[in-house]
Amino acid sequence: MPVPARDRATCSRCRKAAVYLQRATGRHLCAGHLGEEVEARVRNTLADDGISLAGSRVAVALSGGKDSTVLLSLLHGIARETRDLDLVAVTVDEGISGYREETLRAAAAVTARFRIPHRTASFAELFGESLDRRVEGQESRACSLCGILRRKALAVLAREEGADRIATGHNLDDEAQSVLMNWLRGDRDRILRDPRHHDGGEFMGRCKPLRRIPEKEVALYGMIRGLFSPMPECPYRQTALRGEARAMLNAVEQRYPGTLERVVEGQCRLARMAAGRILSPPGRCERCGDPASGRICQACRVLEGELFRTARRP
Amino acid sequence: MRVQLPGGTLRTVEAEVMPVEELLALLGVNPVEVIVTRNGMLVPEDATAGGDDEIRLVRISHGG
Repeated sequence: MPVPARDRATCSRCRKAAVYLQRATGRHLCAGHLGEEVEARVRNTLADDGISLAGSRVAVALSGGKDSTVLLSLLHGIARETRDLDLVAVTVDEGISGYREETLRAAAAVTARFRIPHRTASFAELFGESLDRRVEGQESRACSLCGILRRKALAVLAREEGADRIATGHNLDDEAQSVLMNWLRGDRDRILRDPRHHDGGEFMGRCKPLRRIPEKEVALYGMIRGLFSPMPECPYRQTALRGEARAMLNAVEQRYPGTLERVVEGQCRLARMAAGRILSPPGRCERCGDPASGRICQACRVLEGELFRTARRP
Repeated sequence: MRVQLPGGTLRTVEAEVMPVEELLALLGVNPVEVIVTRNGMLVPEDATAGGDDEIRLVRISHGG
């Protein structure tokens, strides 16, 4: 027995069937208005963060998952109406068997669809071994290690591609999880660091155009635009502190809608207060020249066995 | 109604009509973490489901 039509909620901006309840505002949105609002919020985020993309070459970090695919699509739309904005997609193959193959195929397909140049490189090519091999015996640290090396790999690829900025697909949920994780780890520097972007002066700029978009809206946008199909889960996902931070925050978000946004906005306010007073801007790694909060950047410390030293391998 | 959980497992839930949010609570799924389709159409969590409906839950988070 089908459910009667009276149960269909309608969009708060038109009379079409709603696909989404925006819990923080109590509004319903249809597919068209959800898409419009996501696109507008991305443009506003770039403007509020003082980022002008005109005349620049932006390396879009493309994993092939939903966030980076949606990011690429949105920036492709912005590029069509922005003077001299060039995009190049850069993909890092960390070497995670059973997970990466499908997302790499998706990354290749979406760049072909939008006719955007695409560069891929693997951890094995860049750093001598895959993530799977590097984390044998210390799988619980895979996400931390992967994050450090992926960031390094993206910087290398972006530089080689002549980009002046890297855009990443971090969404609101990612940002709130990072805030909570920094507190859980008691990481003073990261607690006080501005999470929005950094221009870094002499370093390559970064931006996070999706940082105000909840993950659910990113996923819905991707489905509505035909960009998102379910992907396999990263096998290391459940071993990460991020997984626990995600579960905690989502439980609170369900009961108190808008929590994620408040957590991130609070962090931005704190960072603005701390800027130039408590935290110094990043220096240059003595070994590779990339940004570093100490003398040596984390990636160099990993690659030279000073961080995440392994107990395995004959 | 037939419910496809994230991961593909199928469950049958006997109910005339219930809010999707209630169905998710019954299945131990947080609505913040899934997209719901009813008979192939995206629906918000305050929509209702029941009878012969085919419900599919798609988990939105896949990264590390």
